Amino acid sequence: MVIQEQMSIQRKLEILSDAAKYDVACTSSGVDRKGNGSSMGNSVGCGICHTFSADGRCISLLKILYTNECIFDCKYCANRSSNDVVRASFTPEEVSELTMEFYRRNYIEGLFLSSGILVSPNHTMELILQALRLLREVHHFNGYIHCKAIPGADPELIELLGWYADRMSVNLELPTSESLKELAPHKSRKNILKPIRQIQLRRESNREFLGLPDKSITPKKIITGHEDGDIKEIITTKTGLVPYQRNSMIKRNYVPAGQSTQMIIGATKESDYQIMSVSEALYDNFNLKRVFYSAFMNVNQDSRLPVTTDGPPLLREHRLYQADWLLRFYGFQTKELLDENHPNFNVFLDPKCDWALRHLELFPVEVNKADYFTLLRVPGIGTNSAQRIVAARKSAVLGFHDLKRLGIVLKRAVYFITCNGMTMYPIKIEENFITRQLLALKDQLPLGIDKDITYRQLSLFDDASFQPEQRITLKLANI
Amino acid sequence: MDEKKIFLCDNSIDGIFTAIYLAWSSGFGHANVKLEEKCEKGSFANLELFSEYIKVNTDLTLSVKVSRSIQSKISEEAFQMVCRVALSDYIGKADLIYRFLIKGFHIGGGILEHLSDEVVNKIFKINKNVGFEAHHLLGFVRFSEQENGLLFSSIEPKNNVLSLIAPHFADRLPKERFIIYDKKRNMAALHIPGKQWILAEVPDLKIGDFRAFTDQEDEYRDLWKIFFKHIVIKERINPKLQRNNLPLRFRGDMTEFEPDIEE
Repeated sequence: MVIQEQMSIQRKLEILSDAAKYDVACTSSGVDRKGNGSSMGNSVGCGICHTFSADGRCISLLKILYTNECIFDCKYCANRSSNDVVRASFTPEEVSELTMEFYRRNYIEGLFLSSGILVSPNHTMELILQALRLLREVHHFNGYIHCKAIPGADPELIELLGWYADRMSVNLELPTSESLKELAPHKSRKNILKPIRQIQLRRESNREFLGLPDKSITPKKIITGHEDGDIKEIITTKTGLVPYQRNSMIKRNYVPAGQSTQMIIGATKESDYQIMSVSEALYDNFNLKRVFYSAFMNVNQDSRLPVTTDGPPLLREHRLYQADWLLRFYGFQTKELLDENHPNFNVFLDPKCDWALRHLELFPVEVNKADYFTLLRVPGIGTNSAQRIVAARKSAVLGFHDLKRLGIVLKRAVYFITCNGMTMYPIKIEENFITRQLLALKDQLPLGIDKDITYRQLSLFDDASFQPEQRITLKLANI
Repeated sequence: MDEKKIFLCDNSIDGIFTAIYLAWSSGFGHANVKLEEKCEKGSFANLELFSEYIKVNTDLTLSVKVSRSIQSKISEEAFQMVCRVALSDYIGKADLIYRFLIKGFHIGGGILEHLSDEVVNKIFKINKNVGFEAHHLLGFVRFSEQENGLLFSSIEPKNNVLSLIAPHFADRLPKERFIIYDKKRNMAALHIPGKQWILAEVPDLKIGDFRAFTDQEDEYRDLWKIFFKHIVIKERINPKLQRNNLPLRFRGDMTEFEPDIEE
């Protein structure tokens, strides 16, 4: 390795944004904070996208690694210690200046600081802390900061960092402890869950102290669906909180935008059912704001990992996000969507359509009478549409014409609803018929990856990578 | 047949509200009046036969009266919506707002739930459209620093959203002097530290005057372009998705889409 003493800031930014691009959570949402009239910055609850990169992903924060040097050797990671890549590190001054100047020009909404592990977890966390303190205390930056907590670092450091950040995240990396052992031998799942738990407890105590309402006060469900020993252990162990380290200068709350995590999808053998069960357990037990899924790419061409010559499993990632939404906003549970006999999502249909087709006995639903949560379960009706229907039917009996005017997309919903006891046109409520109709809709596949799939659908010769879809092809053949 | 009375008004919130006041109090009857706002270029739409045209001079006291009645007799939310519709580029918005208010004053705050009503629905849709564009621009505005420390930005929005986005930037950058210039309408939002931001018509502003960057500004523009280029995951490149999320019409004023001049 060549040690370059004087690397230009341009070169550093090239290396360290390149190294950070695989991190998924570039959101700036979760906290509403007005400007204070004297220093730069404010924050908007719904988040603001500042631009979209060529891969179509939102850029909201300056997403960089503090350093891409790393003592760990996780097999899937481009920055693993055994890779021969150019290494670089920022200084706290460089990070804070870049953030301030970018923010001033309205390029970004704030900073997303992650890092490889330099020397030790503690050493790295101290550097991150230094950069954040510089931003908050010297530059009086009042914008959004998302930073990673590094598993294995001192609880005191994690405690302190939380007072400077808006959102913190600890990467779960892989869904189960077995795959973690296999691919990231230096990391242990319990070590990852511990800081998540610590941040959760401190947030709750801080919110309680301030008298803010907290959804997490409701009784907790311990482990839903899938038995997860690690989560159970962390939740049930009594962890004493680290004594309050709040600096009297800090007038912010503890991690006000909550915490998130991310998992790599497709590097190991877990089924969608296992992945969704883990997400559900994380939402229920750790009060996470988001779980992000990252389609695996074999960046290291490592022979122990699956090949991704066809590109990353984007469609699978898309389906997992759809299901994730169903868990968080639609009142679904993992076990309704998937089970042992049906462990993976349908490639051709979104999870909600798939669920509805297996529960045709619950349909059709009468739009003028069904309650909000029943409406939410109709394919094609989302939270906005359901709210609009509930509001509009107070003053009028709704017909299909009115639904159209409300902006409700009927192409899917039409098979599952009635207005005044009538469907829009005579429809056979029968699985094969509706499946065929739904499959004919183009929007079942997300933008940009649709072409690929039609090609595959037409292919007569299924190659090996077509494996998980076999069940569906069989089902299609039945029609 | 009665002659239709057409009230011609300025294309501004105050202009439209003044016309609403006059049309309402004229006693011609709702069915016999129509409101028409000036197009953005300053002219009016096609003239109609068998109608009498009445020119409306914007009068702030009348406009305030209308604002106050909407806030007290319908709701604050409805008022905000009507204002956003008045800022939209929808042709015929003045008449639409007039029709909405007839229903609104009759029903009261509950009018916002009458989504299946054609007029209410139209108002909702335009309001959403304007809101989206304003929200997009909160992110897409790009400032460049001038030699004297002034931050300059130019935009070209479909709707007249300057007054919707300026408060956000005044709140965010309280210690900065900045200009957000609407190229299409020759208007600008101006901000000076410690003062309220203002909206001004600036017919003789030349963008060319703001293109001389300092070395530091050039450096940060380059750094931003470097970041923008390197954050892309090559295996996931998806121009369709990018275009869907960030329509081409915004890109002209964004630093990262500027063609590189060097080499």
